[in-house]
Amino acid sequence: MSLADIRKKLDRKEISAVELTEEYLRKIEETDGKINSYITVCADTAIEDAKRAQEAIDEGRGGAFTGLPVSVKDNICTDGVKTTCASRMLEDFVPPYDATAVTKLKGAGAVILGKTNMDEFAMGGSSQTSYFGGVKNPYDTTRVTGGSSGGAAASVAAGLCAAALGSDTGGSVRQPAAFCGVTGLKPTYGAVSRWGLIAFASSLDQIGVVAESAEDAGYILNGIYGFDENDATSSKLATGGYTEKVGAYVSNIRIGVPKEFFADGIDDEVKTAVLKAVDYYKSLGCEITDVSLPSLEYAVSAYYLISSAEAASNLSRFDGIKYGYRSGLGEDYSDLIKNSRREGFGNEVKRRIMLGNYALCSGYYDAYYKNATRIRTQIRREYADIFEKCDVILTPTAPTTAYKIGEQENDPVKMYLADIYTVTVNIAGLPAISTTCGYDKNGMPIGMSLIGRAFDEKTIILVCDRFEKDFERKEAVL
Amino acid sequence: MRYVPVVGLEIHCELLTNSKVFCTCQNEFGGSENTRVCPRCSGMPGTLPLLNRGAVRLAAKAGYALGCTVHGYSAFDRKNYFYPDLPKAYQITQFDSPICTDGHVTVTGGKDIRINRIHIEEDAGKLVHDDYEGVSMADYNRCGVPLIEIVTEPDFRTVEEVQDFVEQVALRLKYAGVCDARMEQGSMRVDVNISIMPEGSDTFGTRAELKNLNSLKAIGRAIEYEIQRQSEILDAGGEVVQETRRYNDNHGDTKALRSKEEAHDYRYFPEPDIPPVRLTDGEMDEIRSEMPEMPQERFKRYTEVYKLPAEDAGLIIADKAFSDFYDAAVAINPDYKQISNLMLVELNRNLNEAETGMEDLKFTPEDLANTVKMASDGVISKNAAKEIVSIMFAEGGKPEDIAKKRGFIMSSDTSELDAAIDKVFAENVDSVESYKNGNEKVFGFLMGQVIRALGKGANPKLAKDALTEKLK
Repeated sequence: MSLADIRKKLDRKEISAVELTEEYLRKIEETDGKINSYITVCADTAIEDAKRAQEAIDEGRGGAFTGLPVSVKDNICTDGVKTTCASRMLEDFVPPYDATAVTKLKGAGAVILGKTNMDEFAMGGSSQTSYFGGVKNPYDTTRVTGGSSGGAAASVAAGLCAAALGSDTGGSVRQPAAFCGVTGLKPTYGAVSRWGLIAFASSLDQIGVVAESAEDAGYILNGIYGFDENDATSSKLATGGYTEKVGAYVSNIRIGVPKEFFADGIDDEVKTAVLKAVDYYKSLGCEITDVSLPSLEYAVSAYYLISSAEAASNLSRFDGIKYGYRSGLGEDYSDLIKNSRREGFGNEVKRRIMLGNYALCSGYYDAYYKNATRIRTQIRREYADIFEKCDVILTPTAPTTAYKIGEQENDPVKMYLADIYTVTVNIAGLPAISTTCGYDKNGMPIGMSLIGRAFDEKTIILVCDRFEKDFERKEAVL
Repeated sequence: MRYVPVVGLEIHCELLTNSKVFCTCQNEFGGSENTRVCPRCSGMPGTLPLLNRGAVRLAAKAGYALGCTVHGYSAFDRKNYFYPDLPKAYQITQFDSPICTDGHVTVTGGKDIRINRIHIEEDAGKLVHDDYEGVSMADYNRCGVPLIEIVTEPDFRTVEEVQDFVEQVALRLKYAGVCDARMEQGSMRVDVNISIMPEGSDTFGTRAELKNLNSLKAIGRAIEYEIQRQSEILDAGGEVVQETRRYNDNHGDTKALRSKEEAHDYRYFPEPDIPPVRLTDGEMDEIRSEMPEMPQERFKRYTEVYKLPAEDAGLIIADKAFSDFYDAAVAINPDYKQISNLMLVELNRNLNEAETGMEDLKFTPEDLANTVKMASDGVISKNAAKEIVSIMFAEGGKPEDIAKKRGFIMSSDTSELDAAIDKVFAENVDSVESYKNGNEKVFGFLMGQVIRALGKGANPKLAKDALTEKLK
């Protein structure tokens, strides 16, 4: 059910906010054991929130978010509720503050159902590196959800929340949305405050939305966007009104299709489905342009150097001194820090920390980090060129559909390469949305992405919504 | 062999902002442990730095005070290292693009010491070790206290140059309101990089970095010790090792802290949480317009325009509040020399005895200016002026009232004076005779008798003239 429909039901009192929340909680109780999408379920506080929401509705104080039950990824801080980043390091960490996005949703009356599972510290594309066990795909529980916002995507796909907050550093909202057959929106860098989002790679991280549709994703973005004094990188350019254009004509939209995104390494089924979507837009009268992003071949390397370098620094604060996991081993502070980190972090996190520190070491800095930032500049320039001649760019979201759990675990490089279609968007700070455009022979969803100009979420939501209205999705059956 | 020392300085100064540099916690010295911390400065996950623009402005002022170029564009970087007093495990600092560069300060002997850069950074916390319990505790009150680091070129060749430079920098920063520059409290911390080279050579030797220098004296002693130590190594055919050494003020020596091999690789990279700092031309003009007159300019004014002796001028400018008081007083009564004298002798003596500062003064520059004017007009004596300063210091009050109340107003009534002289003459016939016979020494005695007879209202000048006349 769309958020607008839920809104109507609540406002017409066809269902109470408490009944609605109870229904979601019951469903989580019944089915989440099969997919492990939640780390923490806030049953008690959710009911209280719902009661308050109902009072507001009854007193005519209800707004767009009053009583809407949502989930929040477990790297987004929630006051008084454990925020673990799916890591042993923060297994018992309870922040004394809300992330700005959470403050806004709560303030608007939304109900927080719980905290969703993810790759540890948002590092990964499978949601299998969680300390609390991997997330399973609602379409086929032997397959991965993608990641790192796998819990967010699965919770939406399985109907365990009305919409979900995720985070996207290199595709972490869009790729799991694609794998789980739902819609994932990564806003422009700076559109949503990062205050309270536990940092992975500060210059790339952005809170995003997983929802049932582009319109729903825009609906949630309307509630969380905006400049925040607490985040110096947040922007005043985000304007809101993200669903305003929905329903407008798209025939005047110029769509760029970059050839590099359809070259070697893409599954035939994915390629066919995405090109079919291109044909669909053509049939609506959109102008389709072949464009090029020549630096794509360097994007994965640049992304892993920049993100790992920032992560190595960002994760240094987890030293067992102030909060989080502390090892019982060791004689002095140096041992304490080493052992706490050795025992508190999982392997993928350690791999990124080592990679990042290596890239920043004097003697390697120029060759790695500095060069990566040059590629970043180049990619931005190439996107700017493309947007001279088109309004949105259409690409596949991932080269494959959801694979079997355990399939890629021992091949990190192969996993990193699978991020190729999503990372450039973060590198360039652009908004992008992923939606389902087909299903493969196993019935697994195929995702396509629409990339927009900075702060022009409205257009990609419009174009995406148009496609969704004419495309029949298959429900995940658990 | 004779060696020449080559010295460069790194000076950390705590900025006088109200709040810390990346959060809104109070910026204050001391206090109970961990009472001035928040999620930001204690590095809690999900928090982000919030740049205090006040710190940026003070850093720019430091630049102007030290003859630097202040940049409209500067940027923060992260310096990464693990230590329990550093909660984020990185220090936010300015590495690639500091806010100020290319300054200079002229020291004794007219030599220019070049300042390479001034950058903004955050301070770390403190560890408290309890050896008895065998535990260490972290106090994060100082975390995020705004600092500037002033880095000089290795331009110093003598201890005097170093000490003069440090003194001047401290004074200028105090004048500019940037830092209170209390070395003993750690609000200004000087690290010394020192190497030696044979006299006549221009190739620098291997340097040692000296830490824990909390007075000018300590800086001098540490440098002397290092010159000696490094000379002995070189004379014995050895090699100086690049290392950080800690100065021990009790022993007057330095001990190795860590070698170059143990030095950290700080893995600097641009701070992604803080956009580059911009200062517009307008803002820079505004900051410059807020700059007070610097001590070296005042010194010039005092010596060249007011014709004060260099030593007196130096003493006045050494304390900004003192100098401000002087300026306010001479603006009312341009008796530069007398006001300077009263302040440097009477006022300073009282300040020292009472162990108080200018901020506690009970009288105004106007009161002092009037006191001096009353003396120069012959209304009160010079000694009375001194006494009035002490009285105003102790009790406050207006000089005119004090003079009246205490009978300091000198009499201009000559009949009283004549009567007094007649009385003295009658009582000291022998002395008067003796004087008239050529013994001029007794004049002082007679004068003293006249003054005593007149009491506190005596006008010594008038009395002297009258006495001289009558003795003719």
